[in-house]
Amino acid sequence: MTDVVATPPTLIAEHSIAAAFRQTIALAKRSTLELFRQPALVVPSIIFPLFFAFLGNSSFGRTTSLPGFPKVNSYLQFQLAGTITQGVLFGSVTGAAALATDIENGFFYRLLAAPTARTSILFGRLAGSTLFGALETAVFVLVLLPFGADVSAGLPGIIAMILSGALIALAVGALMSSVALKTGSAEAVQGTFPLLFILLFFSSAFFPRETMSGSYKTIAGINPISHLVEGLRALSLEGFSISATARAILVPLAIAVAALLVANRQLQMRLRAN
Amino acid sequence: MNTNATATRAPMLTAFDLRSTTGRSSWQLVKRGLINTRRLPSAFFPALAMPIFNMISFSGTFFALTKLPGFPTDRSVNWFMPLGLAMGSAFSGVGLGFSLIRDLENGFFDRLRMSPTSRISLIVGPVLATWIRVTLIAVMVFVAGTLLGARPTAGVMSYICSWVAAIGISTIGAGWGLALAFRFQDMRGAAVMQLSIFLAMFLSTAQVPLNVMTGWLHTAARINPVTNIFRLARAGWVNADDPGHLSWQNAYGGLIAIFVLSALTLVFALRSLQKIDN
Repeated sequence: MTDVVATPPTLIAEHSIAAAFRQTIALAKRSTLELFRQPALVVPSIIFPLFFAFLGNSSFGRTTSLPGFPKVNSYLQFQLAGTITQGVLFGSVTGAAALATDIENGFFYRLLAAPTARTSILFGRLAGSTLFGALETAVFVLVLLPFGADVSAGLPGIIAMILSGALIALAVGALMSSVALKTGSAEAVQGTFPLLFILLFFSSAFFPRETMSGSYKTIAGINPISHLVEGLRALSLEGFSISATARAILVPLAIAVAALLVANRQLQMRLRAN
Repeated sequence: MNTNATATRAPMLTAFDLRSTTGRSSWQLVKRGLINTRRLPSAFFPALAMPIFNMISFSGTFFALTKLPGFPTDRSVNWFMPLGLAMGSAFSGVGLGFSLIRDLENGFFDRLRMSPTSRISLIVGPVLATWIRVTLIAVMVFVAGTLLGARPTAGVMSYICSWVAAIGISTIGAGWGLALAFRFQDMRGAAVMQLSIFLAMFLSTAQVPLNVMTGWLHTAARINPVTNIFRLARAGWVNADDPGHLSWQNAYGGLIAIFVLSALTLVFALRSLQKIDN
């Protein structure tokens, strides 16, 4: 009798994977809707990078003829990758701060009390940030394109850029979620914003590394943000090629995998602590 | 005779007392502001760190700008040090608005309003405390700038012009921050304060001189009075043979802009305070 009622282990595993997937989708939907229902939280991460892009185009338009500056149609074309990275970085902080808010207001613990797959809580939140990163990238390309921010790689390049933007959002979102899970404080997550700002300014996001000198050039060279930006920039300036696409996608992918491992470890630590 | 003497002296005494009350109340508020700075260094630290960070990052990132024909200096830190100081000063001034919102929300400001103190001191005191903080920031920025390679081209006047510009910008920021805090009376005002100051600063010659700009920004910066303040701040840091080098012609526009904008924002703050009283 017992043998008849017992469910085979493989079926339980399949069932739990399917359930975890459904739960991740449901939580991803929640986190995405949350972003769109609070435009005051996400609009600045779109408006400010666009403002800086237009400001930079008027301020630094004449610098494109300087020695060491890559061949571009306009400064805006050079700046496109920096704008995408800037917007996605700032947008990802918002997503991670929302996870910290869930911990603060107890929603996170209600999910733990429910039969929810633990990883779904993290991946559901990150899926929302990833989708928003892709959307932000598409908005930046579409808005800046008519003003001279050409994408030499054409439509396949734009698709690769959107994918790259999503992966950057996933990578940064996972890193920021680690902070959220470690501290459980939205204020602490927002407190990392200046750090991102510093990383962004000490990178090649706004000016090419070739025009920098001394220790500043060295710092920009080892700064991971420089490599994220330059991957995207390759698609914008060099045209579509396997190497440019690989740079744009593999660099954020590698960072995302490492960041997900860190975030998952923080999640396990928080679960053990509870 | 005695009565006459008393009668003629009375208005003078009243005026003297009023001035004295204003002075004493302002001084107490200056002290409160400085004690808060000492007790809450975390609130002051961003205003100190931001100008130094701005100076370092902008000088490094945009180092190549100095190679552009017609750029006023061959040292990028000479160009970006006054920008860093101006940004720190502006946000120090606007920070007064944040403090005021806190005081309004926790009821401390109502206690100040109920006390027999002049209304002017509620504005003058915090502004004077901001001047002291900005002077501290200026000293730190000058030291950091010198270590990074900034060299004045007009001796001690280089530092004085940048400091005067910083004090002016902080006063404008303070007036604007206080006025918006009185109007909004909650944190909604904070976003407007920051955004408006940010726009006023960056739609000027904050990043590059007028002759390097192109398009819409050139037009905006040319009519923006903050451009005149930046000209004053940088007058002692550009090359000695540059047309923007220290001279009365390059200084008076900035001084007028500081005077007019400070007067306008401080009057706006006083009017907004009177509106609360009414």
